[in-house]
Amino acid sequence: MAYDQDLAFVYFGPTKIVFGAGAARDVEMEMAGLGCSRALVVTDPGVMKAGLVEGVLKALGDRCVGVWSEVPQDTGVGIVNRAAAFAREKGADCVVSVGGGSVIDTGKGICILLTEGGGLENFEGIQLLTRPQTPHIVIPTTAGTGSEVTSMAVILDERKKQKILIVEYFNTPRIAILDPKMTEKLPPLLTVSTGMDAMTHAVEALQSTQREPIADGLAMQAIRLLHRYLPVCAKNGADLTARGQVQLAATMAGWAFGNAMVGLVHAMAHSLGAIARVPHGIANGILLPHVMAFNLDDAAEGYAMVAESLGVREKGMDEAGAAGSAVTEMGAFLRRIGHPLRLSETGATEEDLVKAAALSLSDGAIVNNPRMVMDEEEILAVYRAAF
Amino acid sequence: MAKFNAMTQEWLDAWKEKIATSAEYKEIAKNWEGSVSIIVNPDPEKGIPEPIYVFTDYWHGDVRDFLICDKAKAESANFVMSGDFARWKQVAKKEVDSTKALMQGKLKLKGDLTYVVRNIKTVNKVIDLLCEIETIWPDEV
Repeated sequence: MAYDQDLAFVYFGPTKIVFGAGAARDVEMEMAGLGCSRALVVTDPGVMKAGLVEGVLKALGDRCVGVWSEVPQDTGVGIVNRAAAFAREKGADCVVSVGGGSVIDTGKGICILLTEGGGLENFEGIQLLTRPQTPHIVIPTTAGTGSEVTSMAVILDERKKQKILIVEYFNTPRIAILDPKMTEKLPPLLTVSTGMDAMTHAVEALQSTQREPIADGLAMQAIRLLHRYLPVCAKNGADLTARGQVQLAATMAGWAFGNAMVGLVHAMAHSLGAIARVPHGIANGILLPHVMAFNLDDAAEGYAMVAESLGVREKGMDEAGAAGSAVTEMGAFLRRIGHPLRLSETGATEEDLVKAAALSLSDGAIVNNPRMVMDEEEILAVYRAAF
Repeated sequence: MAKFNAMTQEWLDAWKEKIATSAEYKEIAKNWEGSVSIIVNPDPEKGIPEPIYVFTDYWHGDVRDFLICDKAKAESANFVMSGDFARWKQVAKKEVDSTKALMQGKLKLKGDLTYVVRNIKTVNKVIDLLCEIETIWPDEV
């Protein structure tokens, strides 16, 4: 691998990681360590129903001043504003998010409003805040988004009918508690699709125009762990060793893409999610090998590193050969873990693909793709190859 | 070629002229509408004793106001970008990519990033044209 002599980058990853089966019980201790005493717990109805919040509430005891459990699959500005008002009314001095990406992003929004006041619609933008925000502890119940360690939140502005992006170093979660037991009951499809979300984060970080050595290292280890342990989780969700390694991989991939950014796979998956409601992880997984094939000539070095991590770079293989074998193995991996292989399986229509191709051009992720994309026809061709 | 002092009205006029006479810009920017302000944080050691507020306005391939302005005018723009003088100088000299600078916290943006990305060719062209101006930077005087 080669980095330019003028390599210059910022790596940011301040989140403390607490890992281990049963680690969620430590939430009260971790919270006290932050100097906090009044937690708002944020979660969603599915996580509540699965019984994953009970242990956290028991551990928090009277340090929990309220539970906000009305987070939908795609959170919105109105929801965050109402949740923040509730948190303020309860006198919360920290937020504990128990859930997946939507819950965590809701928690991030609440943290801003508890510190800054006002409505979240006023905080659309990048690096606008000038002081640390309300402490945020995250206990993920999926292993994929990496949101527990990133500075980003994507939240639907219901009035504008579009998602807004908030990127704030000052609002990065302080602590992520990775407890494999919290993901133990994830059904196989959700396990593999969230796992492929993490895989996509890692691969796209390695191919990004903003890639750098620290993110590269994290991404490579994330790919190794996912390649080894995601198939185990798909077969036996109760294997806590495998669950834990996949959680760690998702977090490492989160650090990697949080610094190096993502690319065309995400631009296309975001758009397909908006147009046809295709779940993010599934869209990422299906599209990943196809976008890798599309980018191949412009990302051979990064994909050769993917091949090394996947264990398919044979001795004497040149960079281009290794990159090609990474693409082939990624497709084979999807089949091994039982992940959907075609977009046609997701309910998306050919008409949706046309709309999504146009929308993809305006997605922020596309800026960091190694192959410059300026024409929606190119994107449509990739969608069609995956259909 | 004439040289202009950075962040002055003459410099802005020269930049505006460059953009207004670029056929390539006109074509690329046909979808862009809206104003962009640039706020340069004070840095007395580099010759910037007070904040500098710049307001630029673009409309479907045309350019409108390019002004040194006050804080209120700057904050009224559709997109408000702010940062230290050294960062702006790096962007203006194309030593740092503007998107990268935003994501890494070197510059701040208030506004819709997706709109900026959708029109990234326009943004890059505006910066390219700025680079064509012979600029005298206050810390190099």
